[in-house]
Amino acid sequence: MNDLQKDIAQLIIDTLSLEDIEASEITPALPLFGEGLGLDSIDALELALALQKRYDIQIASDSRDARQHFANVESLAAFVEAQRTACAS
Amino acid sequence: MIDLHIAGWRAWAPGLDSAEDWQSWARSPWTPEEGDEQPDCSFLPAMQRRRLSRMARIALHAAWPLCGDDEQLPLVSASRHGETTRTYAILGDVADGQPLSPTHFGLSVHNAIAGQWSILRGQRGESTAIAGEADTFEHAMLEAAILIEQGAPAVIVVLAEECPPAAYAGWIDDVPFSYAVALRVGAGRNDAALAARWRLSLASTTETAAKTDWPFALDFVRALHAPAGPLVHTWKTRQWIWQPNP
Repeated sequence: MNDLQKDIAQLIIDTLSLEDIEASEITPALPLFGEGLGLDSIDALELALALQKRYDIQIASDSRDARQHFANVESLAAFVEAQRTACAS
Repeated sequence: MIDLHIAGWRAWAPGLDSAEDWQSWARSPWTPEEGDEQPDCSFLPAMQRRRLSRMARIALHAAWPLCGDDEQLPLVSASRHGETTRTYAILGDVADGQPLSPTHFGLSVHNAIAGQWSILRGQRGESTAIAGEADTFEHAMLEAAILIEQGAPAVIVVLAEECPPAAYAGWIDDVPFSYAVALRVGAGRNDAALAARWRLSLASTTETAAKTDWPFALDFVRALHAPAGPLVHTWKTRQWIWQPNP
């Protein structure tokens, strides 16, 4: 797990008030929605908001790729990296 | 006038939870100290209870055992002031030009507790969310009587108030401490020992009434322990009279 992945795992726990779980347990490939961590659609909205605030990025609400970006911590970290680069340039 | 069969009831306030706690309180009421104490709602899995506000936890904790898992009963959820803590947090974000939390926004509405009860308990029947004035409790009981009149075997009534954020101090003066009172009105389950019969009638008055020491729902809890004579709850021109029935 790299630093950004750890940071996102902790952000998920704090933002979504998850109890009894450590950031290290949200491994990069663990599915976040449905099976795996078991998050739902309200969590997706809440998490998108938290990511925008924390990393100063924009997430279009109608993005067709959102489902893939939000699949797990690994895909979210890659997405955040890409958005940061896009926003910085 | 309406006749109400109280088949069971429960209440929660800081430091007041068990039947014995409420018996002591009813004998000689006091104002418990308000902190951030809240019921743990351990009857729910962690993933289901994580979004519950303190007020929702207080309400659900009080109401939960009154309805069996195998029953479908209407719910009346009542609160004069509602989710003031969530609302205030949202207003703060609006003032700061911040985007709003979808969770806070979705669960700040007045029927949020009724909605969560429905989802968490698998209750598919009707529910009503009421916000009245200081006599919100009586309006909630009237609503329960109407639902029973329409054929419901029993109705769960829950009235909850949470101490509001300090900014509301100049406007809200009738929540001495956070509390919930939940009642099962109508047919009982198996807690017949608690059953009580009351008659509620409404008169109109032009006299200014003395303020009761406690919010009406808590005053009713007090009277449930020692139903000596009629209980009179007056708000503006409405005079609600509770008469214990033998």
